[in-house]
Amino acid sequence: MTDAPLVLMVDDDEGMRASVGYLLASVGIACETFASAEAFLASPWLRPPLRPGCILMDVRMPSMSGIELLRHLKERGCKRPVVMVTGHGDVPLAVTALKAGAEDFIEKPYKDQTLLDAVNAAIRKCRLVLARSAGRDAVQARLAQLSRREREVLTLVLDGKQNKEIAAALNISIKTVEGHRQMAMEKMRARSVAELARMMLAPEDEG
Amino acid sequence: MLRSLGALFAVLVWGASALAETGAVRVGVLAYQGSERAARDWEPTLAHLERSIPDHRFVMVPLDLPGMVLAVEDRRVDFVITNPGNYVTLEARFAVTRIATLESDAAGSPAAAVGSTVVRRADRTDIAGLADLKGKRLAVVSTDAFGGFQIAWREMEEAGLRPFTDLRELKVVGFPMEGVVAAVRDGSADAGVLRACLLEELAAQGWVVPGEVAVLGEHPASDLPCRVSSRLYPDWPFARLAHTPRDLARQVAAALLTMPTVEGKAWTASLDYTTVHELFRTLHIGPYPRTPPALEELAHRNWHWLAVVGAAVLWWIIHAARVEVLVRRRTAELEREIAERERAEAVALRLREERDQLSRLGIVGEMASNIAHELNQPLAAISNFAHGMTRILDAPAPNMGLLRSGARSVAEQAERAAAIIQRTRGFVRRRNAQRSTIDINAVVTETLSLFGAPAVPIQVQLGDALPAVKADKVELQQVLLNLLQNAVEATLEVAPEIGGGDITVRTARFAGMVMLEVRDAGPGLPAEAVAKMFEPFYTTKLDGLGLGLSICRTIMERHGGRIWAEAKPDRGLTVRFVLPAAAEEEAS
Repeated sequence: MTDAPLVLMVDDDEGMRASVGYLLASVGIACETFASAEAFLASPWLRPPLRPGCILMDVRMPSMSGIELLRHLKERGCKRPVVMVTGHGDVPLAVTALKAGAEDFIEKPYKDQTLLDAVNAAIRKCRLVLARSAGRDAVQARLAQLSRREREVLTLVLDGKQNKEIAAALNISIKTVEGHRQMAMEKMRARSVAELARMMLAPEDEG
Repeated sequence: MLRSLGALFAVLVWGASALAETGAVRVGVLAYQGSERAARDWEPTLAHLERSIPDHRFVMVPLDLPGMVLAVEDRRVDFVITNPGNYVTLEARFAVTRIATLESDAAGSPAAAVGSTVVRRADRTDIAGLADLKGKRLAVVSTDAFGGFQIAWREMEEAGLRPFTDLRELKVVGFPMEGVVAAVRDGSADAGVLRACLLEELAAQGWVVPGEVAVLGEHPASDLPCRVSSRLYPDWPFARLAHTPRDLARQVAAALLTMPTVEGKAWTASLDYTTVHELFRTLHIGPYPRTPPALEELAHRNWHWLAVVGAAVLWWIIHAARVEVLVRRRTAELEREIAERERAEAVALRLREERDQLSRLGIVGEMASNIAHELNQPLAAISNFAHGMTRILDAPAPNMGLLRSGARSVAEQAERAAAIIQRTRGFVRRRNAQRSTIDINAVVTETLSLFGAPAVPIQVQLGDALPAVKADKVELQQVLLNLLQNAVEATLEVAPEIGGGDITVRTARFAGMVMLEVRDAGPGLPAEAVAKMFEPFYTTKLDGLGLGLSICRTIMERHGGRIWAEAKPDRGLTVRFVLPAAAEEEAS
């Protein structure tokens, strides 16, 4: 698995596919192109493992439109940001695209730099999403290593309880609480309660 | 038949004699047993009347039932003595009024003096009651006879026997009534109907041997000293006609009431004949012919025929209804089809008109938009390639292969753009103008019909006797449509409450040329706009291209004409064009 970004482009116009691919290649971004939404959905790129990157698609396409494709992707839980290319002044369509979950939209005709900026921003966003997703996976893995007692102790610690209170609540000695607590913190690789709290909260605010 | 002829003869004879004797009071009597018997029965009464009222002669007019009706109808009699049945008929039809009722010694009471006796031979014990007569033969003197049939008829009906349908035979033997007894006696009838008390009279005469006959359905407690099979009705009335002088009637009534009993007959105050009316109403005869209430009975009597007829009628109704429904459905289908076709034609016509209009008014804008859209793609692609190539060139070690492919792609996209333009040019190549000598007014009329139903009323003022112009009709239409469209749009810009007013299209002579003007009451235009409005790409419309009026000017100039506009300071715009007259152009 490579970390190099990949742009997936859907556009019914052959000239546009070729020229955007060329432009992205000129700045060293790999690009896979698809002539239709259907062809794109059938491609293996949508399945994991995911390479960081984004999806670039034209709003107006015959058969399945860009908006429809976008909704499809969101339904399938696609994490890659989507950049929509809309016609000039097509504000309602752009709004619809954003509401449907598009990361960004650019108006045709666009300057090359506008396209590249949008694509790069989307790729950065993608990396972030993937990293958070990975972090979440790591936290989950660490949580899985905790014993039931350790988990109980940690939960009470996160509730702001003192060791004494925890001991009373779980009907064990303070020493035992301290032992479980230390073990749990080590397993979670948390240096402080604050770090532990951040770790535990992070997955929650990610949509 | 012979008998009725005889009766008629008697009527005529008596009628004639009655007429001959002026001043005579004619008394019609129902001679149901012949004139002689009638004369014998009623002579004492008439003699008494003559004695009591000396200044009048009383002439007896014996009549049979039909004769009685005719005589009363023709007023050939002044008084009548008739049976209660006949009386109520005459009362109902000719307003005959009773003035006295017969009081007979034989009857106990004049109110219950008339009835029927149904007899059978004593040995016919199989017939126990009236109901047993079903399927039997019944002898009657006449079906019109009151005591001799009608009274008994009612009793039979009430016993559940309908004489005209349930009997095997209704044997009419005719007068005298003794014939009925004879028929019963010799077995040609199973039973017979007699008027009440005849049986006793015949027995007294020895004509009937006691125990020879039995009475059917005998009413036990009778006011009459006779055996009867029926209820009893009042005795015969003495009645006056509507035309009979009142005084005479009063005199006669007085005389009758004072008449002593002669041969067992006297007269008493007139009685109530409601029971007789009841009888007739029940039987639907006399004054109560078979009218609606009879239907029910008829239905009951002829139910099987009615069932058949009903079924037939039902079938017919269903058939008719089905046919009707089918016809309606087909008609509706046909109408729908026709409407559909008409609508389709109307739609087609409208579409055609719209297309014509579009092609005349909006083709330039439409084409421009299409060209722009189609050219956008190759241009954007070229831009991408060019920028990409620039970036590659800026790199420390440019990839020559990539650059070459980029350059090739740019060329390809440029060719693609050229192909789009080529295609579009072929599409919009101008048709050759076809000039002909035409009437500008005709162009206006035709164009307005092309314009369809405008959103703003259009007033038309066509000039008289305008010279023809030499022009291309389609181009002129194009100009006029353009001007009209602008005028409509301008008018609609003005709020309706201010009132945009109508658009006026006017044609007139103008300095030896033909002028056409389109005037609107829209917001008007500032002077600098008026000055520039015919220039290409000058537009005040949000989505306008600024080509319409420019094209109009080109067309006008090609025709040797001129187009200009005049704006009023407050509002309204007038656009005019002039064209040289055809003759003038040919001369020059």
